[in-house]
Amino acid sequence: MKLIHPHWLGALALVSLASWAQSAGPTDPQIAAIVVTANQVDIDAGKLAESRSKSSDVKAFAQQMVTDHSAVNQSASDLVHKLNVTPEDNGTSQSLKQGGDANLAALKKLKGSAFDRAYIDHEVTYHENVLAALDKTLIPNAKNEELKALLVKVRPAFVAHLEHAKHLQASLEKSSG
Amino acid sequence: MVKRRCAPSAAARGCATLALLAANAIAAPKTYVVAIENMQFNPPDLTVKRGDRVVWINKDIFPHTATAETRAFDSRSIAASASWSYEPGKAGTFPYGCTFHPTMHGALTVR
Repeated sequence: MKLIHPHWLGALALVSLASWAQSAGPTDPQIAAIVVTANQVDIDAGKLAESRSKSSDVKAFAQQMVTDHSAVNQSASDLVHKLNVTPEDNGTSQSLKQGGDANLAALKKLKGSAFDRAYIDHEVTYHENVLAALDKTLIPNAKNEELKALLVKVRPAFVAHLEHAKHLQASLEKSSG
Repeated sequence: MVKRRCAPSAAARGCATLALLAANAIAAPKTYVVAIENMQFNPPDLTVKRGDRVVWINKDIFPHTATAETRAFDSRSIAASASWSYEPGKAGTFPYGCTFHPTMHGALTVR
């Protein structure tokens, strides 16, 4: 009974985000909602992994995701207040949320090394997709210079997270034989 | 710190020259800045003398650390926009990184 794997839901949401580039592209209030949702989804997964994982490396990574993505959201919400912009929910932010919820539901059914692998695999895919979305859609479409600058400023963190996650993925594969 | 008393007269000029010479010979300690920005230490490699001061300034929006692999120095968490300074007392090359972000690396060489 293989339903759609939860990884794909998040991936699909971001693919639809990438295809936005060809049409009008998201507005700044929509970009704000996408950024906040994307970060929140990873904070929620990180909190679950912090409490569920038995691996100190995976726990440390999860804790870092909570810290860093919370910092991004703090900066984003500070900026949104300063600019007096109200984040506008949209199809992409909604499917990101659904993808995040599906991922949490799937992870909650897993334990031990199966949990660690599923969590880290998802983190790799998630960060790859967010980077693609930043480069193809969010940064090019951001109109406000400060919003664009914030997106550019947080990009290296997503690159570092992706490398960190890939490193963990490789070591989890090795340890599971 | 060498203190000299100088008479406020014609001798002052000579005295000032002497003080300058002394300062040059000892080489006053310098302060170096390493920016932590875009998940990198900049400059990644830095060479200083014992007694110099190194200041790491976190320009990212996330906390970082500057932690020697040997734990010869460890800033602990440096908050966003905060800084941490260190005066190395031992010579050697100290590879260091951020304990939060294992992809970040730098090296401090102390002569």
